[in-house]
Amino acid sequence: MADNPRITGYFVLGLAALLVLTLCLCGCTQAPADVHGNPASTATGGIRSITVTGSTTVLPIAQGAAESYMDDHADADIKVSGGGSGVGIQAIGEGTAAIGMSSRDLSADEMAKYPGLQVTRIADDGIAVIVNPANTVNSLSLPQIKAIYQADITNWKDVGGPDQAIVIIGRDSASGTRSFFTETVLEKEDAAPRMLEKNSNGAVTQTVAQTPGAIGYVSIGYLDRSVKGLDLMVNGNPITPTVANVKNGQYPISRPLIMITQGSPQGLAKSYLEFIIGPAGQKIVADEGYVPLS
Amino acid sequence: MDVNADAGAKGPGIPARSHRGILRIKESILKSIWFLCAIFAVVTIFFILVFLFWDGYPIFAQVGVWNFITGMTWNPTGNPPAYGIFPLIVGTVLVTIGAMVISIPLGIGSALYISELAPARVKAVVKPAIELLAGIPSVVFGFFGLVVLTDWIRVTFDVPSGECWLAGSILLGIMALPTIISVSEDAISSVPREYKEGSLAVGANHWQTIARVIVPGALSGITAAIILGMGRALGETMAVLMVTGNAAIIPSPIWNVLSPIRTLTGTLGIEMGEVAIGSMHFHALFGVAVVLLLITLAVNLAATAILGRIREKHMPAGGKKKKNILSCAIARSGWMGGVRNATPWIGAVLLTGVMFLFSGAGAAVLTLGMTGGFITTRRRISSRLVQKIAFALIALSIVVVLVILGIILWDIVSKGIGYISWDFLTKSPRDLGRAGGIFPALVGTLYLVIGAIAIALPLGLGAAVYLTEYTREGKITRMIRTGADLLNGTPSIVFGLFGFAFLVLYLNFGVSLIAGQITLAFMVLPTIIRTAEEALKTVPCSVREGSLALGATKWQTIRRVVIPPAMPGIITGTILSIGRAAGETAPILFTAVVFSQRFLPTSLFEPVMALPYHLYILATNVPGAQGNQYATALVLLMLVIAIYSVAIVVRHHYQKTLHW
Repeated sequence: MADNPRITGYFVLGLAALLVLTLCLCGCTQAPADVHGNPASTATGGIRSITVTGSTTVLPIAQGAAESYMDDHADADIKVSGGGSGVGIQAIGEGTAAIGMSSRDLSADEMAKYPGLQVTRIADDGIAVIVNPANTVNSLSLPQIKAIYQADITNWKDVGGPDQAIVIIGRDSASGTRSFFTETVLEKEDAAPRMLEKNSNGAVTQTVAQTPGAIGYVSIGYLDRSVKGLDLMVNGNPITPTVANVKNGQYPISRPLIMITQGSPQGLAKSYLEFIIGPAGQKIVADEGYVPLS
Repeated sequence: MDVNADAGAKGPGIPARSHRGILRIKESILKSIWFLCAIFAVVTIFFILVFLFWDGYPIFAQVGVWNFITGMTWNPTGNPPAYGIFPLIVGTVLVTIGAMVISIPLGIGSALYISELAPARVKAVVKPAIELLAGIPSVVFGFFGLVVLTDWIRVTFDVPSGECWLAGSILLGIMALPTIISVSEDAISSVPREYKEGSLAVGANHWQTIARVIVPGALSGITAAIILGMGRALGETMAVLMVTGNAAIIPSPIWNVLSPIRTLTGTLGIEMGEVAIGSMHFHALFGVAVVLLLITLAVNLAATAILGRIREKHMPAGGKKKKNILSCAIARSGWMGGVRNATPWIGAVLLTGVMFLFSGAGAAVLTLGMTGGFITTRRRISSRLVQKIAFALIALSIVVVLVILGIILWDIVSKGIGYISWDFLTKSPRDLGRAGGIFPALVGTLYLVIGAIAIALPLGLGAAVYLTEYTREGKITRMIRTGADLLNGTPSIVFGLFGFAFLVLYLNFGVSLIAGQITLAFMVLPTIIRTAEEALKTVPCSVREGSLALGATKWQTIRRVVIPPAMPGIITGTILSIGRAAGETAPILFTAVVFSQRFLPTSLFEPVMALPYHLYILATNVPGAQGNQYATALVLLMLVIAIYSVAIVVRHHYQKTLHW
């Protein structure tokens, strides 16, 4: 039986110190919360800092713009986080962030709860219908897509493809992308319950890329070589999901992307937003594959 | 330092009368501190429940509890919206059952191998390897599952999509393994040597000793291990939502393991982020969280009750023995009989699990049937043959576990190593993480883990000390232990939800380091309590009695006699906790992290970057970042290995100085 009192003593001492520390932390919670009352823009030691949070669809734009902006402004610290459109709107309403990002409009509930919110449109986005690159189908009409998502068509051979079961992939029910898709393509009707649900554009792309029979929908910013974006048949003409076609209004499924502030933006938030809607920011929008404001 | 001097002066001698008074006050103060630590778990679980109910109440009021639970359709954004979660409940239960079928046999088999069969040199490699498995973050499992596992299932079973119940169960089974193995192995190793020697001395062979003496003797620890593992499986969010397809349907037929499925946790994970806060959908998600919590509560209470009955039934006549500092021996000898008949079935389930993993359900059922036949005829088979078969199965289970570990590690290392450089470790990310490094995320994760452990370790250890040393087995200990078990079963996403609703919004911390640390601390607290308690229990009563007989006070005995030899176990628990805290995404998702920031946080009230979240975003939101994604996974893994190595060295040091 080896007993080393010295080590044990230090151990207990450390334990006690930690306990005290914990208690202190618990005790001080109120004070820092007051200091933190307006975390939207904090200025300590000459560093200006804001937090941007919300939709994962808008995140690539916000992040690209933040990196570029901070290159020019050594004192700026722009923190970008995801979470989703709901989180973004909530955060801005509760004052825990300076700018919220959303890929859907504010709901009536949200507008009633947080009356002072101001919306800035920063880009447009098209929703591309994607399939596995091995799929021989190149275009579908909106009614065909609707029939597929409602499981009225369950095999690719019915729309001119190979004899293969269709795996339908959609977004989670709280997604801004899904609600827009449901509204415009499914005409507000429900998709079949056997639809696989994914929580981000990237996850949809990933799944479609490795599942031969899959069909999915993502923001056109997420189109890459791993999947094939289908042309949409509009009045007999195939329309390719490209930035140009969204911009000229030919591509039928597009929506605005927005940033939200509490009242008019101030300070760093203001100049950051101005940067995004300015020429340098809109170039980033285009580089990330979204549709710049015209 | 002065603690030592203090103890030296008053030490084992007989203190003066006034000294005795001071000592008594000191003792009672200490006792109440440990009591507060212990009761903390109960208060927390109660608080979480109340808070979730508060936010979930509107949905129950509108839809009705019964309709909410038994409704067949979950379509909260439909027209009209439908809030029925029955398919989600079924999904959660099925995925967990599948995971347990895989992980219990493999886990117990591996634990037996490590503690009973492995040569010392093999053990020295295998045990840390298993702990390493625990350090693989759930988001890495999820990504691995999405890219490798679902593809394998799709091709092997020739189905349109590999995202299904089976994929979720395999992944969860693997994730629950390290917990089950580590905790059962600790329990098996702590069965006194005399029992084993006694059994061997009366002529039983090694397998008979294992099956009828060692396993029954360690049953409480093994049960704890299974409960802990089940908690992990029930509550896992990130990995599950990436591989199960998330279609809210009940498999048809019900045993169709290739059907997509959706769990309660997955629903929270994918919908919480985008939902409009304050809407009926938002309240419905809190309703889901309440149901999830109640299910884990029910499972844990059932497990506790079963365990209690086993103990009570086999207690010798003369009433219940109280577990306290003077008589910590539970009547081990009595309740072995009940387990004896179950042992072959454990073997059967073990084999079934292995077959399930390799060749699907059909073969598993066949194996189960064959093994059943074997068990009924085994009386006619020599005990030596039985031993051979049993040992072969045990060895097979550890091989399976190591192969799984190998595959995952190989995938991550081979694809990530090419992207690691000094710049990657020391620079900030650029271009959404596709280029640049991960330095702020690395530091952020360290901050989060250190904070979480600094909060959870003292609380957990205090609670364990109170439970093992100060109390008789009674209502209060039962309540505290149940509280800790429930807290353990509480899914990480629920902690995240609670942290978001309570710390971030209600206390107005904002998304901040401190909110993440506290949330993570809640999450790892039960692991620390459980493992520390197991470790303290293994210290023989005779040692405590000896110390007390020499005139040492209770606290002196605990501090200088009981805790030092229990340190290896306590450190093991802490290692597991660090691994878990470093790799979890769900609890910090809404409480602590940002995707990018320029400077390191300078106060506890600033948000941080964290490696698992960085990886999650890279994996799900940034196309074309596969290189940095694997590199991030590799760094996260190496970080955990580094922490583990330090801890393993420390534990080894303690073990060397420990001889009973």
